[in-house]
Amino acid sequence: MDSAIRFNIHTGSAEPIYRQLIEQLRRRVAAGQWKPGQTLPSVRELAAELAVNPMTVSKAYSLLEAEGLLERRRGLAMVIAGQHAAADRAELLLPALRTAARQAGELGVSQARAIALFKQCLKEDSDE
Amino acid sequence: MNEPLVTLQGLTLAFGPQTVLRNLDWRVARGQVIGLLGRNGAGKTSLLEALLGLRLPQAGEALLFGEPARSPSDDVRARIGYVPQQAELFEDLSAPQLLDYFASFYPRWNGAKVQQLLARWEIPLTQRIGSLSGGQQQRLSIIRALAHEPELLILDEPVAALDPLARRDFLRELVEQVLERATTVVFSTHILADLERVAAEVAFLKDGRIALQAPLDELLEQTRCLPPGATVAGLQPLGEARFGLWRSASAQWPPQAEPVSLDQLFEALA
Repeated sequence: MDSAIRFNIHTGSAEPIYRQLIEQLRRRVAAGQWKPGQTLPSVRELAAELAVNPMTVSKAYSLLEAEGLLERRRGLAMVIAGQHAAADRAELLLPALRTAARQAGELGVSQARAIALFKQCLKEDSDE
Repeated sequence: MNEPLVTLQGLTLAFGPQTVLRNLDWRVARGQVIGLLGRNGAGKTSLLEALLGLRLPQAGEALLFGEPARSPSDDVRARIGYVPQQAELFEDLSAPQLLDYFASFYPRWNGAKVQQLLARWEIPLTQRIGSLSGGQQQRLSIIRALAHEPELLILDEPVAALDPLARRDFLRELVEQVLERATTVVFSTHILADLERVAAEVAFLKDGRIALQAPLDELLEQTRCLPPGATVAGLQPLGEARFGLWRSASAQWPPQAEPVSLDQLFEALA
């Protein structure tokens, strides 16, 4: 059973609402909770449900469509697209890696040392 | 067709010795949804009243749909909806009497929408308006402003008296309006969370002028907070320097740069 598509937003965050919608969809799809072929709520429905400006929802949908994560079906409904390139999934790591990179800088850890540590983490993970 | 719905040019407004608006320029284009921000006493209400022609400036000009705001034609009047901070409703009438009275002034009046909102927002129909709660009066004032399906909605702290659920429901109604009629909206509020949901643009009123207006998404994405003392080559701080905010679409930010929230922007800019 697919989990229903429900978005949550947080106000007061540094992340604009359209970004929050995009990231949530990416994570849910990557985690396999939302499946290819599932229909998204219309812009109107989602804007009314979340009480947000409809332009915010259409902006998120269009960017996701441009990325290939959403497809527009006949009519207007948006559905979650079929396959996703492995590259797309790898990019989901970027926010975590950026945080790690910043902290490495703050701690004065060298690039070589940081990369070695990341390799070690990858190895530990695949050994488990 | 693309002329701004609101044009303010060199507007100066003073109350006695106190100057509230100083040589202020502002334009509101069709379809914009703008949140107007400013500290208490910054002059948000004065600005909204001046743009509606309810206050005459000492200098400058206010145009609404291209006509002088001080003497709007019936046609322009019918295209504007206004929710003042303090609802000025006839206290001795009941809600339906008040709405019937206003309906007679407008060429268009969505009676079905009025009935639906009266029911949804649980406005008592038989009591006199003077005996309704502050929140009920504010909701009635909103219904009155939406009933004639205006093209331009001016809302001055429209949710101040509403509880969180009523606020959310009001925002939904506003979203409906924007969806159905591409209504242009200018609203002032202190509740940043509401503004973040609904406003595509934010305008900061400070020292009698619009200090900054920008799409909210862009402003959030292009602004960073840097530690005290840090600077970015070629940039000026955004707002008051002591808050350490900097804005650029293309800067290479130093590693200590942190993204900012609307609260931080308000602190530095309002």
